[in-house]
Amino acid sequence: MIHYHPSIETLTDYAAGSLPLTHALCVSTHIEHCHECQQQIRKLEMLGSHLFDQTKVESRRLNRLKDRFFEQLAEQPVQEIMEMALQKESKNTSWEEQYAVPNSLRQFIKQGYDELNWMRLSPSFKIATLYNEEGGAQVALTRVKAGAHMPTHTHTGDEITLVLEGAFSDESGVYRQGDFINRDASHKHKPIVTKDAECICLTVLDAPIEFTGWLARLLNPIIRRYHPHSH
Amino acid sequence: MERATPLDYDETRVADMFAVAQARDQAALARLFDYYVPKVRSFCLAAQPGANLMADDIAQEVMIRIWNKAHTYKPESASLNTWVFTLARNARIDYLRKNSRHQSDIDPEFLWQNVVDENADPFKDAQQKRDQERIQQGLDKLPADQKQVLAKVYLEGKTHKEAAEELSLPLGTIKSRVRLALHKLTIYVKR
Repeated sequence: MIHYHPSIETLTDYAAGSLPLTHALCVSTHIEHCHECQQQIRKLEMLGSHLFDQTKVESRRLNRLKDRFFEQLAEQPVQEIMEMALQKESKNTSWEEQYAVPNSLRQFIKQGYDELNWMRLSPSFKIATLYNEEGGAQVALTRVKAGAHMPTHTHTGDEITLVLEGAFSDESGVYRQGDFINRDASHKHKPIVTKDAECICLTVLDAPIEFTGWLARLLNPIIRRYHPHSH
Repeated sequence: MERATPLDYDETRVADMFAVAQARDQAALARLFDYYVPKVRSFCLAAQPGANLMADDIAQEVMIRIWNKAHTYKPESASLNTWVFTLARNARIDYLRKNSRHQSDIDPEFLWQNVVDENADPFKDAQQKRDQERIQQGLDKLPADQKQVLAKVYLEGKTHKEAAEELSLPLGTIKSRVRLALHKLTIYVKR
């Protein structure tokens, strides 16, 4: 059962297509697990289609555009390309994989989480960067061993965490698969992974995190080095 | 059966869609072009006023996608307008990410693929039409300030934050206008 959802504003921006892609990645991963938000998005898209349908249309002749379009269509290779791409996406993980990678992450992860280039920051905490956005945002996976603490940290920007596997808790609650957690810069928290299994999360940072615990001096230079802001 | 006329209009276009999907009927595609291309262009120009070339490119792309994906359209899971809106939205995002200063490598095709067409449900069709009508009728009755914010977010592609800056209003005001509107349209029910 999912308890933590994106806000209605976030869902609206997602349905409208105005949400930054890094955040949309988290929403998309969330709704793969969340029937409730799927329904909400379905309605928000309906609203979008009505607004779309009501847009004022200029009376402009589009004959030339239309001719060009049909010329282009005639040159188009038969449509297999797109279908093949779709099939590849929808194919599930092979049976030997321990975890099912969400469809939204298929563009970064082909087989499974193990193929990623994990960087070990402590004996129980690993991080793998999926993507660094030019504008400064970072998309990464974190992988923490069962029962382990994540180093205490604060954020210099917004952070979205989406639980992919396992569970963790902090001062405010317990977060399980599919939960969507949005923290702003004022937050300082100390997550602990539940004892039964390791925890893999998708995280999107708008700016680097700062570790405030004893590991701080050790980790901050490393984290900064791997974050695009510092280059 | 009695029904509001706008949905009936949709039905002739749905028939055209089937002709495109099954018979590769270019005349049907041309009719869809006449109906949707002006809308897609307006949708793009709302986000980037004056960018006619961009609007043409995106409109073409949407029509190509309609042609290529016609067979994936399922009337029981979304109205044709909603389906085309999502194509236009995704094509606009894709165009902007490839042509803007902040290029992104995140492929939007992966992010909006799972929303449509989940869990086959025999009541879904009826439910869908009810939602559709409620939203359409509600939209006409919304106060102008609420409608304006929805247009900013949906048509101009602004986030709530950007809409607030542009209208020189506090973010809280924008949020509450959107929430009020969504509440009236019975889209948003507080959890």
